[in-house]
Amino acid sequence: MTEKFSRRDFLKLAGLGAATSAILTGCGPASRYVKREPYQQMPEYNYVGQNTYYATTCRECAAGCGLVVRTYQGRAIKTEGNANNPLNLGKTCARGQATLQGLYNPDRVQGPSTGDWDSAIQAVADALKNYKPNEIAFLMGMAPDHLFDLVSELASATGMNAPVRFGALGMFESRATLSKAAENLFGQAGLPWFDINGAEVVFSFGANFLETWLSPLPYTRGFVGLREGETKLRGAFVQFEARMSATGAKADHWVPVRPGTEGLVALAIGKLAAEARGGAMPRAFSSVNPADVAEQAGVELEALEELAAMFATRKVLAIPGGAALAQSNGLEVAEAVLALNALSDNFGQAGGVYLSGLAPMQTEYNRPASAQEMKSFVEKMKSGAFKVLFVHGVNPVFEVPASLGFKEALGSVEQVISFATFPDETAAEAKYVFPDHHGLESWGYQRVATGSDKPVLSGAQPVVSPYYDTRATADVLIAAAQLAGGKFAEALPFKDEVEFIETKVSALMAEADGSFSAADPVTFMAYFQQHGGWFKNVDARVSLDGSAVLNNNFKGSEAEFAGEGEFFFVPFVSPTMAEAGANKPWLQELADPTTTVMWNTWVEINPETAHELGLHDDDVVKVISEAGEVEAYVYLYPAIRPDTIAMPFGQGHTAYGRYAENRGANPADLLGAHFNEAGDITFGGMKVKVEKVKSAARGIGLSRLESTMGVYGDSLGEEH
Amino acid sequence: MIRPEEIKMSAEETGKWGMVINQDICTGCQACVAACAMENNVTFVGEEDSGYGRSMHWIRIERFWEGEYPEVKMTPNQPMLCQQCGSAPCEPVCPAFATVHSTAESLNLQVYNRCVGTRYCANNCPYQVRSFNWRDYERPEPLPNQFNPDVTVRRRGVMEKCTFCIQRIHKAQDKAKSEGREVADGEFTTACAQACPANAIVFGRVDNPQSLVSQLAHKGHGVKHLEELGTLPNVTYFKGG
Amino acid sequence: MIKSFFNWLKQPLGLIAVGIVFLALFSAAAYGLYTTQQAPDQPIQFPHKTHVAFGIQCLYCHPGASKGPAAGIPSQAKCWACHNQIVKTRDSALLAPLKDAVLNGESLEWVPVAIVPDFVQFNHRAHVAAGKNCEECHGDMTQQLVAQNPQVMNMGWCLNCHIENAGEDQAKLIKLTDCGTCHY
Repeated sequence: MTEKFSRRDFLKLAGLGAATSAILTGCGPASRYVKREPYQQMPEYNYVGQNTYYATTCRECAAGCGLVVRTYQGRAIKTEGNANNPLNLGKTCARGQATLQGLYNPDRVQGPSTGDWDSAIQAVADALKNYKPNEIAFLMGMAPDHLFDLVSELASATGMNAPVRFGALGMFESRATLSKAAENLFGQAGLPWFDINGAEVVFSFGANFLETWLSPLPYTRGFVGLREGETKLRGAFVQFEARMSATGAKADHWVPVRPGTEGLVALAIGKLAAEARGGAMPRAFSSVNPADVAEQAGVELEALEELAAMFATRKVLAIPGGAALAQSNGLEVAEAVLALNALSDNFGQAGGVYLSGLAPMQTEYNRPASAQEMKSFVEKMKSGAFKVLFVHGVNPVFEVPASLGFKEALGSVEQVISFATFPDETAAEAKYVFPDHHGLESWGYQRVATGSDKPVLSGAQPVVSPYYDTRATADVLIAAAQLAGGKFAEALPFKDEVEFIETKVSALMAEADGSFSAADPVTFMAYFQQHGGWFKNVDARVSLDGSAVLNNNFKGSEAEFAGEGEFFFVPFVSPTMAEAGANKPWLQELADPTTTVMWNTWVEINPETAHELGLHDDDVVKVISEAGEVEAYVYLYPAIRPDTIAMPFGQGHTAYGRYAENRGANPADLLGAHFNEAGDITFGGMKVKVEKVKSAARGIGLSRLESTMGVYGDSLGEEH
Repeated sequence: MIRPEEIKMSAEETGKWGMVINQDICTGCQACVAACAMENNVTFVGEEDSGYGRSMHWIRIERFWEGEYPEVKMTPNQPMLCQQCGSAPCEPVCPAFATVHSTAESLNLQVYNRCVGTRYCANNCPYQVRSFNWRDYERPEPLPNQFNPDVTVRRRGVMEKCTFCIQRIHKAQDKAKSEGREVADGEFTTACAQACPANAIVFGRVDNPQSLVSQLAHKGHGVKHLEELGTLPNVTYFKGG
Repeated sequence: MIKSFFNWLKQPLGLIAVGIVFLALFSAAAYGLYTTQQAPDQPIQFPHKTHVAFGIQCLYCHPGASKGPAAGIPSQAKCWACHNQIVKTRDSALLAPLKDAVLNGESLEWVPVAIVPDFVQFNHRAHVAAGKNCEECHGDMTQQLVAQNPQVMNMGWCLNCHIENAGEDQAKLIKLTDCGTCHY
């Protein structure tokens, strides 16, 4: 042997041999062998290899749409709308579809922060027992209602503070203003109900009813009725808003009025229409001068006259949307727009305005807290009046505008206990996190607040068994109340959550005109689960008396703006993600309907304005208001006023799982603590500055579905 | 409504399954896109890859701008998906016969196990509705729990596109056969049509004049996109307005 | 180094080494292939033969076969419901894994032997409805102890049967040989 055949060479060859056999065997069936675990015990109603469908309620927002979930071998595979539910009639929105990505999200809270549920329940019981009842506060989301009812009962029996509800969607809809306007005009608070389906023409003052507003599915159905009615002509649709929303994009006429002038425009159109019709001028329109309004709103007088001519001759439904009401004069805007309906004699008629009826098991309209009420809540936290704060179904650190100081105030509360399913910003600040089940693993019910003419109680039941070591918050509270004893135990004399729901739901057995009936509670509850809820076959909408609304005297006041900047600011709720969708990857990857942007936050700027400022697509700008500043990419948006910029709400999380964290910016950080007369934050009444931070660079920028080469790309900037 | 005997099928209309999309009432809400992704195990690709145009939407909603501010208008939302062409440009260019025409169902098939990833089909598709798996995209546990067992989970290097929910077609046909009958019109539909809050998408048999989709397709001025290329698409669009 | 290595390979010792290496590779590959043809380890050496001999129908444990795509594996509760009644099996060491799994609420992990790749959509119901008997694909279970796959379930095997079944019926042939019938 001239050379030694080294040990190393031998190992190389042996390795090659092993690799060869691995490749050869890799082709064989052994590599395909999988393991299958049969059921230990086959659940009821299941059949080997067959799908099982369960009816439940969607928890992605508080509207209360019914779902039917396809499950296969104990896994939830697909959600579809429940055709039995009069609210959504078998349809779902994108968020309802993506709810599965919440259920099987890799970043859920997997168990109680104390390690086990016994100590968790002990912690809750201690929190209830060791503090005075008025030192304990509950902050809850707008869903689910059964938990709200349970906590309300606990609170009223023990003297604790009544639970407060809040949701960013309600804030961006200016629900307090809508409800207050109804109260002022018709003597009854509640959410107005607009019969778009039956209307001839719709004048929407910034209402994004095809996106997230109030209850988008029934309003989409109404829109289809407006356009496609079998018996009537195609209805017309006019949208008044400074920035074209996805709803406004469907309008025949988009009228870009200056933010804050919506009420004036409504009154001016009313005046011109009344003039065109002749007769006595209603008092409501006496104070406005259409020519002045046209100038203030930045639209042509002729345009207003044309719209007024339409108003004078056809039956027009006027709708006040959230952004128009989020102004210092918002209450008057709401009243003016609602009053405009009197011209078309719309009250209590098909194609007109009603008040939403009360849902089953509801005695009065229960609206979520306004931002102003949240501010006083925060002040109580700061002053130490609240020593224990329970949070469920809402993420106030993210959803409540930062200027209200919720996050800072949490530090003044001795015990913050979060029931969050996801590790959100509020849970990160909490002392304990005791995770609730995901909506698809939960029992419950939800009252349908608006959208259906019938009173609907949507029912929820688990479609799969809990994936993680989570526990229903109602069960935790019941167990803790038992443990705390005394009046707490007396307040919640239930075995568990299901017994509480059964007690509540079976009270409906006595009601007439129900969608089903049964002789005994057990059967009734079984039907309730099977149908995914219960509704009453009556038209519960409240007819309004609008005979006097035009006698109101509207001052025609101008909106006041906070801040120094040169731009009006329009924050809007992301149509695809809404307030809590950012943690679901497919919602992130859905293209925004108007900009087609995915996965990020953008600032919409008119191309002309951008050109003047030397801004291009994908430049990074800082938007500065009196309350704060955020950075985001520029999007040259052709359908926005040159004096206005807009940003979507939904991103900008600092927690909330890998798909949401550190992505985009939160425009709520720019909102100062200013409120209108009804207590809603004036998110449309901010003025902002824009500063360029960085120029667009190759490979960095917004991901869009549309091609960036084209009409409104950078070419505009270069050509001019 | 049109009486069935009034419908004249032209000789070229050889399709079986078809769709009618009413752009006038499509609100662009993306429910169809999400429903499609959930039904068909379509993966998400993340921000960076979607920025490169690699997102896997089998259906997307197109919109275009017309005019300039303040006379600017958005054209009616246009859901764009595989048109299941009767004479599909994607088919003849596939060297692996992975993109083949189904004679039985008159659909354009994508046979994943045959696909070698040349991407010729996507380049030849005038509708740009094919998407390519550039990577094995990560769907961390427990996200795979929601996979639809009726649909193959695709891997890297494979082309994919809308199938008209062929798994639902087979399921409905199988059920009907087991009950000794034909599939009834409206008995099942695609995931996008089922979710659509506006009912802007209608799916069914275009070779049956009685079906709702045939009735709608022959009513008024429907448009088949890029029909002039001779692709014989099976999706009819109504712009309305 | 490389050059001298090749020179060494030409010498008798080197040739022997080459032979040994080739033998090693060949036998490793042969062994690899051999292992793929063995039935995989199962948690319990389940004797199909014995159960069939007692007159238990296939569909008693695999009822999905006549209803839908998957035949299914019976739940442990179903196994134990019978075996718990029989003194001999209740305490048998062979069934200890089942007993443990049932009592501890754990799952047995079975390894199915008759499987098709992920990209094939197979439906039992259609085949049962077409008059195929279980043993035509799965072999004669009266002769089998632990289940083994009697044939290589590849596309040629599927198609042969499909073509044979279609016979002269052209429409059926189109349907049964369409790619989209199994691949989607």
